[in-house]
Formats: sequence, C-alpha cells, structure tokens
Amino acid sequence: MLVLTRGSYALPGTSIDFKTGTWRTSRPLHQHWAAPCHSACPAGEDPQAYIGKVQENHSREAWESIVHINPIPSITGRICPHPCEQACNRGSFDQPLAIHSIERFLGDEARQRGWEYPIDLGRGAGATVAVIGAGPAGLSAAYHLRRRGYQVTLLDALPEAGGLMRSAIPINRLPRDVLDADIARILALGIEFRGRTRLGVDVHLDELRSDYRALFLAPGTAKAKAWSVDGAVPTDHRTALELLQEWVAVGSLPAPQSVIVHGGGNTAVDLCRAMRRAGVKEVHLVTASGLPGPDTEPDDIINIVPRELEQAIEEGITLHPHRTIQRLLFRGSRVVGVEMVTLRKLPTKSGQTGRIAFEGTETLLHADMVIPAIGESVDPTGLGTLLGGREYLWPGNPFGRLEHAPGLFVGGDARGDRGTVSAAVGDGRLAAAAIDGYIRQGDDPEVMSRAVITFDRINISYFEPAQRVEEPTLSVAERTDTAEIDRPLSSAAITHEANRCFSCGSCLACDNCWTFCPDNAVVKTVALAKDGSHYVFDYEYCKGCGICAAECPCGYIVMEAEL
Amino acid sequence: MLSALEGSQAVARAVGLCRPGVVAAYPITPQTHIVENISKLVADGQLQCELVSVESEFSAASVALGAAAAGTRAYTASSSQGILLMGEVLYNISGLRVPMVLTCANRALGAPLNIWNDQQDSMAVRDAGWIQLYCADNQEAVDTTIQAFRIAEHTEVPVMVCVDGFVLTHTLEPIDLPTQEQVDRFLPPYRFDRALDSRNPLSLGTCVDPLFFTESRHSQHKALLRSMQEIVAADSDYAGIIGRSCGGVLSVVGPAEAEIAILAMGSVCSTLQEGMQIFSQERVVKLIKLRAYRPFPFLALREVLQGVRELVVLERAVAPGSGGIVGMEVRSLATTMNSPPRIHNYAVGLGGRDVPIEIYPRLIEAVTCATEPVWFEIFDVEVERLPIEDR
Repeated sequence: MLVLTRGSYALPGTSIDFKTGTWRTSRPLHQHWAAPCHSACPAGEDPQAYIGKVQENHSREAWESIVHINPIPSITGRICPHPCEQACNRGSFDQPLAIHSIERFLGDEARQRGWEYPIDLGRGAGATVAVIGAGPAGLSAAYHLRRRGYQVTLLDALPEAGGLMRSAIPINRLPRDVLDADIARILALGIEFRGRTRLGVDVHLDELRSDYRALFLAPGTAKAKAWSVDGAVPTDHRTALELLQEWVAVGSLPAPQSVIVHGGGNTAVDLCRAMRRAGVKEVHLVTASGLPGPDTEPDDIINIVPRELEQAIEEGITLHPHRTIQRLLFRGSRVVGVEMVTLRKLPTKSGQTGRIAFEGTETLLHADMVIPAIGESVDPTGLGTLLGGREYLWPGNPFGRLEHAPGLFVGGDARGDRGTVSAAVGDGRLAAAAIDGYIRQGDDPEVMSRAVITFDRINISYFEPAQRVEEPTLSVAERTDTAEIDRPLSSAAITHEANRCFSCGSCLACDNCWTFCPDNAVVKTVALAKDGSHYVFDYEYCKGCGICAAECPCGYIVMEAEL
Repeated sequence: MLSALEGSQAVARAVGLCRPGVVAAYPITPQTHIVENISKLVADGQLQCELVSVESEFSAASVALGAAAAGTRAYTASSSQGILLMGEVLYNISGLRVPMVLTCANRALGAPLNIWNDQQDSMAVRDAGWIQLYCADNQEAVDTTIQAFRIAEHTEVPVMVCVDGFVLTHTLEPIDLPTQEQVDRFLPPYRFDRALDSRNPLSLGTCVDPLFFTESRHSQHKALLRSMQEIVAADSDYAGIIGRSCGGVLSVVGPAEAEIAILAMGSVCSTLQEGMQIFSQERVVKLIKLRAYRPFPFLALREVLQGVRELVVLERAVAPGSGGIVGMEVRSLATTMNSPPRIHNYAVGLGGRDVPIEIYPRLIEAVTCATEPVWFEIFDVEVERLPIEDR
C-alpha cells in the first residue's frame, strides 16, 4: 500500500508526464499572411520578405528575392507610385515604410556591384517565344521566359528597348544611365532584341505565330484617344503624351504664356512640370480627381505619386481638383481659355457612383493653350481582328491569355486595366509562367492567394515610433530637365528604414512565443520548422492559452478553435 | 543585559540571532521596521543572509517557501492586507509541511482603511494550518520568535508570531536579548529531511487526488495538535538555556482559585495585568494569557477554567454576523465541562482604539453586575456616534 509522504511530496515527477489531453479549446497555428505591401504590389514583389533580409544585412539576398519577381527594381523603386506604401500597416502607427527607397537602393547596389541575376536556365530549353513590345511588360516577360530556359526574341518598333520608360518618363525622374544599364543587363541574359521592327509593317502576326511556340503581346497604348469639348478642338491640338515624348526625345516644348493641362495622371503632371521649367509662367492642372485629404474618398484621389504631386506644387503648378472643362473659349479660332465646373463622385440614380457637375460653380480660366492628358488606346496596326473594335485587348484573366487565340498572351497597358510600370512587370511575369504552362501543357501557375494581415493583428507594444527616411531632393532652383531630383540614400539610412518594418504576418524569430509559453510547448528548431518560422508547437503540452499569439509582434500566430 | 529597543528592532535582532538563510518581505505598516532592521543587519555585515526584495507579499511568502523547501532557514513578515495577499501561499506552506517563521505585526483589515492595531489579520488566516503564538510584550516577542524556529523545525509546521502593531512594534521597552551563543545552543542549524536537492529530485506541490487528500488533511491536523507538546517543550528548553519562559501554550496570572477570569491574547494581557496591580482587589480575579491560539489548547484551558464562574473572553477581532472568534471556541470547550463558567464575550480595541488600564475594573464591574452572560458585544463601542438605524 502506498504511504503518503508528509507534505504530499512526490517522486520526481516530471512535467513531461502531464499532457494536455482533451480539454484544450483552441490551439495556436502559424499563419503566413500576405503582408499588405505584398498584396498591394502590382509587380508581385514581397517587400516584407526582402526588407527582412536587409535587416540582417543580406543586401544581395534581398535583391535576389526582388529580381525573382521583378528584374528592374532600380527603375520601379524610382517611378512606381508604390501602392505598397499606401497599404503599409506602419502607416496606421506612425508613417509607412519608404519601401520604394529600399527597392531603389537594392537595384542600384546590384548594378554598381555587378551582382548577376540568379538564373537557372533550366527546363524550357529550346522552345522559342516572341515578345512584341520592349516596354516593362515585354522586358519582364522576356526575362522570366529566359529564366525558364526559353529562346526569347524581343521585338520593338523603336530602335532601343524601354517603351514608355524611355520615351515618356522624364529623365530627371528616371536617369537614362539607370534605364540603359538595367535593360542591357536583362538583354545580356541571352535575349535577342530586334529594334525598328514594327508589327504589321516589318513583321506580321501570322508569321510570328507559326515561327514561335507562343507570343506575348505588349504593344502598349500608342494611339491618342479622341478629345473634344462638345465637339470643339483647339487648332493647335496636341496630346500630352505626344508633347512629353517630343520633349524627352528632342528637348523642345511649346512655350505659351499660360497653359491648361486636363487630366489626372503622371503624364499630365510630368508635362506640367516640364512646361513650367521650359518657361511657361502659368501652368494649370485641371483634374476631376481630388487631392489627398479628409475631403476626398480614397478611390477619388488623384493617381499620382504623392511626392511628385508635392514637388509639382513646389514648382508652382496650380491645381484645380474636382474640376472639369465644360467649354472651350475661343477668340476667332484660337483658344483663349476654358469654362470650368466643379464635379464630385456621387451616387447616381442607378446606384453606382458617377461624377456629377454642380450647376452654378462655373468659372472662367484664361490660357493660351489647352492640352488633354486623358489617355491612349491600343494602336490596331498589325493586330488583325484581335481588338475586335475595342480600345484595348481585355484578356479577362491575370495571365493575359487570349482565349480565342491559343498561344497568344497580352500584358501591360494594352490590356486596358493597367497603367503603371509595376503592373506591366507583374503582367510579364504572370504571362511568362502561363506561357511556360501552355508550352509544357501544364496548368496555369498559382497566383498568390494568402490572406492579407490587418494592422490590428500587429502587437505594436513591440515597436517604437521611428521617423521615416525621405530621399533628399534637389531644391526647386536646382532642378533641371536632366539631373535626378530624388537623390540616393545612404546604406545606414536604408538599414534604419528596414528596421522599421513590422514584418507583418511573417516570423521575425524574436523568441517571444518561445519565451512566454508557460508550458514550454513552443520548441525552437529551425530544422523542423518548415513553415518559414523558427518554431514548432508541441500540441501534446500546449494548453491553448493564446499567450504566444498575443505576444507575437507580427501576427504570425493565430488561435484556431478546436471544439 | 537589558537594552532599550523598539519592538521591531528587537524582533529583527531576534531573527538575526536565529541565523536565517533567506529573508523575503514586502513593506507594509506596521511591519516595515522589522524588515528594515533586518536589512540593516545584513547591510552592516552583522547577518549573513540573502535578503530578497520582492514586489508583493505573495512573492515574499513564495520566496520564503522556496528557500525553506530548498533547505535554508527562511523568514518573512507582514501585516493586515499583506497577510491576506499571502493567503494562498500560507496554506501551501503549511500543507507542504515546510517549516518557516512569519511575524504578523497585527493590524486591522480594511475597509475602512486603518493602519492601527487589532488582530483581524491573523484571525483571518487562523485556519491556514499555521501555529499562531500571541505575544503580550516585546520580551515575549523576542523569546517567541527564537522559539518559533525550533517549534517549526521540530514539527514541520510553520509558525506565525503575532505581535500587536504599534502597541508593541513601535514601542520601546527594556529588552534582554539572549546572546548568540545561547541561541545557537537552543537552536541547532536547520536541517530539513525533504529539502530539495537537484541530485536527488523530489516534486513538491503535486496534485493530490481524492484518494489521498483526506489523509493529508488528517495528518496536518494531527501535526498541529501534536505541536502543543513541542510549544511547551521549546519554552521549557528555552528557559533552561536562557532563563526565561513565555508560558507554553497559556499561562495564568493571579490566584488559581479565582472564580472570575479574563482570557485574552496579545498586548492587552499586559494592560490587564497592570490593571490588576493598580486597582484594588475587591474580587479575586485571574488572567488567562492565551499564547497558543493554534493549536487551540483545549486540555490546558479546561484545566485552568475549573472552578471559574464568570469568564470574560476578550477579542481583538470580530466575526461579523457571528460575534467573537476566540469566544466561540472557548464556549465549545465549555460544553465539555461539568460546571462550565458563564462566558461573557467582548471585543475591545478594534482598529487601534485605545485599551486603557481602566478597562480592567470596567470589565469586572460589567460581569459581576450581569444577570445574563453576554453572548457578544463590542465593549468600547460608542453607539451614540452612529445614526439610530445603524446602532
């Protein structure tokens, strides 16, 4: 018979004998969320992942992680409107991370240090693919196809690759040595570039379709949309894109006393700034969208990088938000100004929102020139029946596959639902994956479908407020047409910025779960942790208290009900 | 040699003489001076001891428990709310049969908030399984503290030494501190059979299921009852070495044959004793100084109650809704007597209300005039200071 010890001491019991059993009601799980920056990136980059590598001073690995997705980070780091930063959870805490600065820094480092693209010319060996249009979509597709081992021919009507990045983006936003070097590095991977080759003139779709296993069409939008105000068009009518391209190529612009640019995109703002610098005294931008602020709904904000908008205002551009041109004013056949009216996005009778002009808000604005910047459509030359009378190619799937034309894929501005270099880069990558699937008769590649983590899941007790770094800029007086306005940041500033990252939804390896678990049910093991963390849960002992989930700074641990 | 010492200083020196290995405490009035003085002894190099500053009384008791379980002599002290915060740990210490000593500098419990003396705090933990010894003066506090370590270590039952706050702790008295050599003779080095040892591991605090819990409680109860002999033996051995005793579980002042008796605990005994000397002895009265409240000395008490006709039981605490606490236990004892005394149960001096020497003749007058035994009253309440509906 067992005799009780005084004080009920026991033989060394080991707590290993005390397993949780059946009474736990919820258990922790690692959930690798999509960081908001990742989800928002049109190119498909995962900034959280590469910023984590920058924090560890692994710049090259960070760059390799980017170019796995986007081959031109030094370009997108400069000119992308970076929706990643608008999405950044840190924006709900102090200020969003300057993700674009980190991206740009890594791209510049790679170029300056001569890091080679991590490429494994593997499985697609031999098969040939033609890419039409050497803008960002075409370059991205060519790069990703080449990485898969395809023989790629890249065609463009212009003598040099780059598309709009070369023809329309101001040099002071994207220095041409950066552009040239990055394009050269991509082409040097073994991509055959044939310039001065215009579709429908020098080559034809049918020939290409028979010569190549698949085609990627990225012709961009080269045809100006028809523009008039109640049928009236100025006699000196030029579109903003034409003028901008002419300025970039030749360096000349018309220089009236005053000008009104009508539109709300980067083309409009780039042209305004170029004209202002060319000596136009009054430059007005009339846009139906609103400026960022409490008065404007998020989907109604002008689609321009905020920093560029600030710089435009600094340079003396006059903005007319929530306004449109209702009438052109003429003296004889010459435009002398416009009648503007206020309009706002409001619910209409059909239940959708639409822009509604407010009667009685009309004002006159005098100007010597009115320039529309309202967009372009696909030039139908050489596309045969593909457009079917529409302005864009509208593939209707993320891979750009044209369902009625097997082996044809489309991406970039010509899709009709894009508008940035980053989106074009994303199109090229997805199309390359889909082309690979098509040629090898496999399935469509998977699209990132992880849930996006929200700010409330971040444990901000573990983060201290820290000032966002801003790239130094040339003062208004120092700005020219050629010198880059946004100057580079130091490596120390980039490390500081990277350290501000919340690591949303990804394990930081901070040891909090391991430290706080009252049951030693978090096991620290890089070897067994296969899900990107450094820990595994030992459910035999986990009581489901949830402390690990509460103390995870990154929201990487979630509790799952077990009842 | 006598020296004028504040009660807290005297207790601290007594603890120091016992060579504790670990002292852990959290400050609370009126206990604070005790631990302050111990920390000074440590800081001055007069005591080799690990003094652990903690963030709460719960931790203080837990640290002392751990230290004692690990085989070192441990001590803590507290008061009032601090004792309550220790409550869970106090039960653990006694249930685990870990010997240690705690000084309770008795203080009222809030609310209303009150820092002054009564014994509600130690009464609140009377069933925690600790031996409780009450001290009538600071000399007794010193002697009882030293004896407490030996009682605890011999019985493996923890001892709470109850010293009235302010009345004793903050009052200077001529104190005769024993010498280190004397204390060393009386109190051998601590040795605990079940001391935790990493080379021979044991688990303490394990879960005990219904199969054994009853036996565990039975054994604890018996240990408390048996400790009665050890309390008496320690007092007598102490007298042998140091020449002074505290009366074992209880002592009587006055003629044994007195038919009127007052039973009390703590410093009020000293007040009554002085009252007995000052006021003329029209009636023969004896004072029963109850030193051990836990274990409750049924047999010893029944013996001194033989022949008593009127017994006043004085309380320094109240069981609201019932009445006296000590009184209730004395009454239950009286039911076992052939001719029990009439028992008059009074509380006095709650929350530091002064207990003057005149309390003595007033009590005697009250019981001799009483036609019926007083079930329970707060003797010094001034009901006219309350609204009529609350009297």
